[in-house]
Amino acid sequence: MERSNYKSEIPIFEFHGGIHPKEHKLESNQTPIQKIPLPQQLAINLKGQAGNRSLPIVNVGDKVLKGQVIAESDGIFSTFQHAPCSGTVVAIEKRPIAHPSGLDDLCVVIETDSKDQWCELFPKKNIHELERAEILAHICESGIVGLGGASFPTHIKLKRESGIDTLIINAAECEPYITCDDRLLQERAADVLRGAQIISHLYDDINIIVGIEDNKPNAIDALVDARKQLEMDTVKIAVVPTKYPSGGEKQLIQLLTGEEVPHGGLPADLGLVMHNVATCVAIYEAFEFGKPLVSRVVTLTGEACQKPGNYEVPFGTPVEHLMSFCNATNPGVLVMGGPMMGFELPNPKVGIVKATNCIIMAAPKELKHDHLALPCIRCGACMDACPASLLPQQLYWHAKADEFEKAEEYDLFDCIECGACAYVCPSDIPLVQYYRYAKSTIRNQKVEKTKADKARLRHEARNERLERVKREKAEKHRKAAEARRKAAEAAGEDDAKKAAVAAALARVKAKKAQQDDSDTKTESNDQKDTDA
Amino acid sequence: MSLISSPFAKKPTSVTELMLWVIFATLPGLFALVYFFGFGVIINLILACATALVTEALILKVRQRPVLPILFDGSALVTAWLLALALPPLLPWWMTVIGVAFAIVFAKHVYGGLGNNLFNPAMVGYVLLLISFPLEMTSWLPPAELAQNPVNFLDAVAYIFTGTSMAGEPMTATRLGVDGFTMATPLDHVKTELAQGYRLAEIEKDAVISGLSGSGWQWVNIGFLAGGLFLMFRKVIGWQIPAGVLLGMIIMSFVLFAGNSDHYLSPSFHLFAGATMLGAFFIATDPVTASTTPKGRWIFGLGIGVITVIIRTFGGYPDAIAFAVLLMNMTVPMLDYYTKPKVYGHKVKRQQGDTDAH
Repeated sequence: MERSNYKSEIPIFEFHGGIHPKEHKLESNQTPIQKIPLPQQLAINLKGQAGNRSLPIVNVGDKVLKGQVIAESDGIFSTFQHAPCSGTVVAIEKRPIAHPSGLDDLCVVIETDSKDQWCELFPKKNIHELERAEILAHICESGIVGLGGASFPTHIKLKRESGIDTLIINAAECEPYITCDDRLLQERAADVLRGAQIISHLYDDINIIVGIEDNKPNAIDALVDARKQLEMDTVKIAVVPTKYPSGGEKQLIQLLTGEEVPHGGLPADLGLVMHNVATCVAIYEAFEFGKPLVSRVVTLTGEACQKPGNYEVPFGTPVEHLMSFCNATNPGVLVMGGPMMGFELPNPKVGIVKATNCIIMAAPKELKHDHLALPCIRCGACMDACPASLLPQQLYWHAKADEFEKAEEYDLFDCIECGACAYVCPSDIPLVQYYRYAKSTIRNQKVEKTKADKARLRHEARNERLERVKREKAEKHRKAAEARRKAAEAAGEDDAKKAAVAAALARVKAKKAQQDDSDTKTESNDQKDTDA
Repeated sequence: MSLISSPFAKKPTSVTELMLWVIFATLPGLFALVYFFGFGVIINLILACATALVTEALILKVRQRPVLPILFDGSALVTAWLLALALPPLLPWWMTVIGVAFAIVFAKHVYGGLGNNLFNPAMVGYVLLLISFPLEMTSWLPPAELAQNPVNFLDAVAYIFTGTSMAGEPMTATRLGVDGFTMATPLDHVKTELAQGYRLAEIEKDAVISGLSGSGWQWVNIGFLAGGLFLMFRKVIGWQIPAGVLLGMIIMSFVLFAGNSDHYLSPSFHLFAGATMLGAFFIATDPVTASTTPKGRWIFGLGIGVITVIIRTFGGYPDAIAFAVLLMNMTVPMLDYYTKPKVYGHKVKRQQGDTDAH
C-alpha cells in the first residue's frame, strides 16, 4: 500500500513487538462517505456504550423527532441517547444486541418515517463564554462517546483537568480493513481540528498532536491543508510507521512520547488525554450545530460486500439492512469491528452501536475461522509480537491449566487483547480466547469472593445477634430466678435454719468416719464440705 | 463451543513450515558430511526418518491422538534428522533405530508430546547411544582425502546392515587413514594424544589436524554455520542462543588457551570442531526445550558453550554438545521464571518472594 513520505513533525519512538498484517484498506477507502437508505426500524441498544445502561424516557407510541432525547444518562457512567431519525417508538424490549455471545438487552425500537426530520437544535457556538462544567454537560447531553471502538463516555474522560498538557488525536487506525477515520480525515479534516479546538478550551494550555499511520497519505495531506486554513499552527502532525497495533492508546502514547502509561494508571498520569478523530467531529457538530450523536461513519467491507466503502449509518440500523444494501447475500463470516479485535456477529439482526466502526462481510475463506490448534512449540514468536512485552506463551499455559494466580503473576491484566500473538502463532492457537477466558474467570471469582465475604460478614453478624439475644434471655431468666429465690428465702427463713443444722450434723458424722486421715487432709475435707 | 473470537487474521506460517526450513538449512552441512564421510550419512538419515515416522504414528495411535495432522507437523522428522546428522556414518542400523525410537517415545511422548518435553529428544537419543555403545558411537571414518579405503555406497549399506563390506571385510579397514593408523575425529585425536603426554604443537602436525580444526570437520562446521545464519535471517530461529553458545565457547576456551596454549585448544579450533555449529544453530535452538525469554536465551546459550568446552577439555568424552544441551535443558524452567521481561507500564519487574518494604 502507498506510504506517505510526509516527515513526522515530532520525533517518533518505538513500541515493542507489533505485526504487519495485510491491510485491506484500499477496498473501502477509495470512495467518499455516503448515506444509506433508512431501514424500516431502528433498534437502539440502551447499553450501546461502555458503562451502564441509559435510562429510557420515552414510551411506546410516542412520536419522536431526529435528535430528540430518548434515554438519559444514569448520572454515573453512561450518556444520553437520541432518536437517530424521526418516527414512532413501537417497542421498548429486549432484542439481540451487538455482543459476541448474542445476548439480548433492552432496546428502544423506532419505526422510521420518511421525513427524517430534526428536532429543534441548540448550538453552543459561544464556547469561550461557557464554564467547564457546561461544556462537559453539553458533551454528555449530546451522547458523545469515544468512537475509536471503546465507546467510553467522553465527558468522563475529559473530566480531569489538572496536570493535562497534551491532547493526542488518535488517527492511527491501525486495524486492517477499517478506513472510516481515514475517509473522515480526507473529507472533514478541518472539522476534526475544530473539534480538537473545542476540547482544548477545557484546559488552560494544551498542545495538540495528531498521531497518524503513514499508510494514509491523503488524510495527512488533508490535515496539513486544514491546519493551514484554520491557522492552527501549533497542532503537530506525528506520522508513525504502519504497524499494528500503533492505534492502541498505550502504544500510540509510547510512539509519540516514548513514555509508558504506568501499570494501573491512566494516560492522564502522564499529562495526556487521547481522543479519536470521529469523536472530535462529533464534538464539533454538537457545539456548532447543536446536533447530538445519532449516527457514525461505518466501514462496510469484505469480499462478500458488493459496495465496499464508508457510510454514514444511523445507530440502531440492523446489520442485515446493511448487508442487503451491499448485496452481501451469503457472507462466510460477519465481523463487527476489525479482523484483529472485532467479534463475529452471531445474529445479523443486531443494530449498529456507537462503537461500531466496521462491518466485515467476509467471503467463506477470507478470514481465518475454524481451525485445528497444534501444540505450542514454545517458539516465542508471540513474545516477539506482544506490544505489552508480556510472555503470551506462559499466560497461555497458565490460562489453559486454570492457574489463574500464576497468570496474574505474569500480568495477564496488562494484555490489551490486540491479537498480535495469535496472529503470529505457527501452531494456530487461539491465544486471546484463552486470555479472555482467564480474565473473565478471575473477574467472576473476585465478584464471587466479594459476595462470599459479604455473606460471611452477614452470617457472623447474625450469629452474634442470635448469641446476644440468647445471652439476654438467659440473663433475664437468671434475674427472675434470683428474684423468686429471694422471695422464697424471705418467706421460709425458718425452714432454711433447720436445714443448716441438719447439714452441720451430717458433716460431723462424716468426720467421724474418716478419723484416720491426716490433719491436712481433714482440713481440706473440711474445706470441701464447706464448699459444698 | 463453536464460539470463535478474534483475531480472524493469521500470519501464514505453520509449525510444519518452520520444521521444513530447519531441514532445508541443514543441507550445506549435510553435503559436507556426505562429501567427506560418504553415503553412510544418507543411509542413517533415511533409517532415522523412517523410524521416527513409524514410531510417532504408533505412539499417537496408542495415545489416541489424531495421527495425520501431528505426524506431518514435521517435528518427529526434525528430531530424527538432527540425530542422524550427529551419528557416525557407518553406525549399525539397529543402533540408529534404537536411538531414534527412544528419542521419540521416551524423550518426547512420555512427557506429553510436542511442546511438553523438557529435554531435547535428539540429544536424549544421542546420549543414550553414546553411553550404551561408546565404541561404535566414536568410530568415525577418516575424511575422504585421508582415507585409505574410501567407502562407496554399496559398501556403506553393507557395513550398516551386516557389519562387513560387500567383500566381507571388517569395519576396521575403512577406518584406516593413509598413514595406516586408525583415524579418530580431531577432537578425539587431540584428547588421546594429550593424555599420552604430547604437546599441542606436536599433535597439530598429525594428518588428521589441518586448517581450523581438521580436514573435513571444518567444512562440515562451515556448512552448518551457513545454514544456521540462513535460518536466523529467515527468522526461523532467534539469534540469542547461537550467539550465546559461540560466545560461551570462545570465552571459556580463551581463558584456558590464554593460560596454557600448549595444553588447551584454541577458540577457533573449538568453534570449527565436532558438532559445534550443528549444536549452536540447530540443536540448542530447539524452541521446545530452550529458554523462551530474550535474557534466558542468552544464559541458556552461554551455558551450553561453557559446559561444552569444559567437558571437551576435562571430561571423558571427546565432544560434549549433547551433554551441555541436556544440562542446560534442566535449567530452562528456572531461567524462564527469573528472566521475565519488563512488561509495558511496569517500572521494574517484581519477583515472587520479594517483600514489600513499605
